[in-house]
Amino acid sequence: MSHGTTTLAFMFQGGVIAAADTRSSCNGLVACPASQKILPVHSHLVGTTSGTSADCALWKRILARELRLYQLRHGRRLSTAGAAKLLAHMLHPFKGTELCVAATLCGWDGGEVETCPLEHGSKGADQQENRSMMGSETDDLAKTAESDSISQAEARGKNQCLSPAMSGQHCTAGGKQLVLSGPSLYYVCSDGTRLQGALFSVGSGSPYAYSVLDGGVRWGLTVEEAISLAREAVYRATHRDAYSGNCVDVYHITSHGWTRRDREELREEYYREKERERVKVKERREKQEGVEDGQSSGGNKLN
Amino acid sequence: MALLDVCGISDWVKEDGFNAERASVDKVNHFNFAAQTPELAVPVGVDPAEFLRPLVDSEEGVNGVKINLEHGTTTLAFKFQHGVMVAVDSRASAGSYVSTQMFKKVIEINPFLLGTMSGSAADCVYWERVLAKECRIYKLRNKERISVSAASKLLANMVVNYRGMGLSMGTMICGWDKKGPGLYYVDDNGLRLCGNMFSTGSGNTYAYGVMDSGYRYDLSVPEAYDLAQRAIFHATHRDAYSGGTVNMYHMRETGWIKVSQEDVGDLYHRFYSEKK
Repeated sequence: MSHGTTTLAFMFQGGVIAAADTRSSCNGLVACPASQKILPVHSHLVGTTSGTSADCALWKRILARELRLYQLRHGRRLSTAGAAKLLAHMLHPFKGTELCVAATLCGWDGGEVETCPLEHGSKGADQQENRSMMGSETDDLAKTAESDSISQAEARGKNQCLSPAMSGQHCTAGGKQLVLSGPSLYYVCSDGTRLQGALFSVGSGSPYAYSVLDGGVRWGLTVEEAISLAREAVYRATHRDAYSGNCVDVYHITSHGWTRRDREELREEYYREKERERVKVKERREKQEGVEDGQSSGGNKLN
Repeated sequence: MALLDVCGISDWVKEDGFNAERASVDKVNHFNFAAQTPELAVPVGVDPAEFLRPLVDSEEGVNGVKINLEHGTTTLAFKFQHGVMVAVDSRASAGSYVSTQMFKKVIEINPFLLGTMSGSAADCVYWERVLAKECRIYKLRNKERISVSAASKLLANMVVNYRGMGLSMGTMICGWDKKGPGLYYVDDNGLRLCGNMFSTGSGNTYAYGVMDSGYRYDLSVPEAYDLAQRAIFHATHRDAYSGGTVNMYHMRETGWIKVSQEDVGDLYHRFYSEKK
């Protein structure tokens, strides 16, 4: 818990959400209040970073380079699981040194298929499309949610299962190996840890975020609900943790690639919440007075 | 000391507190629980603070041994319009061994005063019982109940004498007195804070996340019960040193009531089925 930050990522039916604060601290000094802790690796993969900023930035670029070389050599994108394994193996020689990188890799696997008897020509065309759509506006989110369910239905028609528990794992169908597509989330750490999961939070603010996320994350969330949950979790962590703060970045990864929400200042969120509370208290007080008036008038009628 | 009185030497032999120079190894030094005269319960010839400081404070400890006193629990308390909510878990651990899942971490000092415990179980239980004794004596002497502020101050002053000597205690004193609901946090360093919301222990960060999201001063009673239960539950879910059952108390104007005692496993199924 020594990395001074709050980053989180979780997957749900609409893809993967990654969120992080933007404060870079250096022994009590806020070195940069507007740093970027979520670094895109390629069109369908982002990584949240925690630990030493310099190490994270460098290793993300190295990972991006290696994935691009893989893509050029093999004609398809490497899956998130493969990227996580690659990063873990690259960091291994530095185990025991002061290198400190704790990253979660959030991506959407494009349904790369190995030695499979089923058709996948159309999927290659999809990948070409997806690579050109980068950084679109947030009003695309509603469209992507719809198209996700459509693409899932198509894939189901082609005898591929896309249930959440199975995504990213190998399954044997007719004796041949199949790599499944869909959202994927891995946690990679410079001490050698590499874990797959549905929900991760890393950093000194992570305990505060975990409890908020545990109470709200489920597979059936809508995209709007998921984004607001991620924002709320980062906001609570920045409220209590001294090493997290300033702004929140939210990224949403779908089959069309990643989209980035505008950076939001959390100071404003604090004032907005206080205002919401004031309104709620006022409403409740008025409702109580209304009830009391009703009761007193009822008593008069009886008399 | 009856024998000293009979011999007539009690007026020039005085026992008054810890004195490293005068205390000698061959003199018997029983602890009389500070009943007649104020005294400290410390061993003879050794200054506990000096002995413990290199083990606790320094980076590398003594011969590589460092003692970290952690408060392995989750307790929380918050004030709201209908009084004070107190919720605790019930796991007692010794390192990685779970000693019991049914430990009572709330001590009922009197019908209008509660104390929570986190840190070393022995320290908390002992010092809060001493506090209960002092509160009872106060009531007998002054014919009225002690205020929450005074009770917490008594506890803070008692433990500050042993500062640096290895006590580990993080407690919240909650009550209702003439000034209304009262909530104080008292620490083994002698820190005493008045506030509206506290959470202590290794799971406190998880509880703060949930409590901050749902807290308002004007919560209704069922909402406050739900919030306190959820906060402890999420802490027990993520923190390895918290678990067992969630014990909830509600401090009202007419005294405290024990609201519920629910196993965290049952709470897990209830909350997760609600999510769907």
